[in-house]
Amino acid sequence: MDLHVIAHTAGMVFIFLGIVTIIVAGIGLFRLPDLYLRASAVGTSAGLGVASIVLGVLLMDFSWLNLIKAAVAIVAQLLTSAVGSMAIARSGYLNNSLPAAITHTDDLLRTRRDYRREAS
Amino acid sequence: MMWPLRFISFWLWYAKEFFLANLYVTLDVLRPKKRMKTNPAIIAVPAASVSNTEWTLISCLITLTPGTLTLSISREHKILYVHGMFVDSREQLVAEIQEMENRMLRALRRVPGELARPIQAPVVVPSDLPEEGDQQ
Repeated sequence: MDLHVIAHTAGMVFIFLGIVTIIVAGIGLFRLPDLYLRASAVGTSAGLGVASIVLGVLLMDFSWLNLIKAAVAIVAQLLTSAVGSMAIARSGYLNNSLPAAITHTDDLLRTRRDYRREAS
Repeated sequence: MMWPLRFISFWLWYAKEFFLANLYVTLDVLRPKKRMKTNPAIIAVPAASVSNTEWTLISCLITLTPGTLTLSISREHKILYVHGMFVDSREQLVAEIQEMENRMLRALRRVPGELARPIQAPVVVPSDLPEEGDQQ
């Protein structure tokens, strides 16, 4: 019984942490200046938020079958959020959404067809 | 170290890095605008990965770490194009990524083998021929 209460509280804490992570990711969407910063900060934070909520629910309602389900869900969530952010960022770059002015170095710009080389 | 040990210790190390980066990005998002430390850059990082698995996993792991994002790879030139959120100098980001890659390759390969990289990033120019087996 005592263990049950502890697991329940810990589950609540994880769910709350997940909610906070997702809210911060939402604030980041407004505060960061360009697509790439938003994708890198938000894509993964949202992934971690959902993973944390799944972990919290697992602690509140533990069974071995649920453990397997939660493990698969967390791995799939993190993998798809990573691949999704990469796809969004890459297609943004290919569609001429150039990074914000505070970006101080851009090596990928040199590989663009319309990049003018000063040397030649 | 034995291979299974290396494998487990890499994932523990990565989990630690993942949470630290999360904390750092979260703090920066909540900071007042004038004191935000965001200093983004897109850097070409020379990579030592060889197989499909290694390329996929390293780019996923980089993207999964908050604050860094793989924009593109060139397997022909062995380059990862990484967008970093807190980049004070090129060397700092390259060192960070290459440390992660070294640890990952040692964890994945039973025999770590060659971890050599091109020292100077090669000059990449657009060509009309699509790279062999590569998607940009």
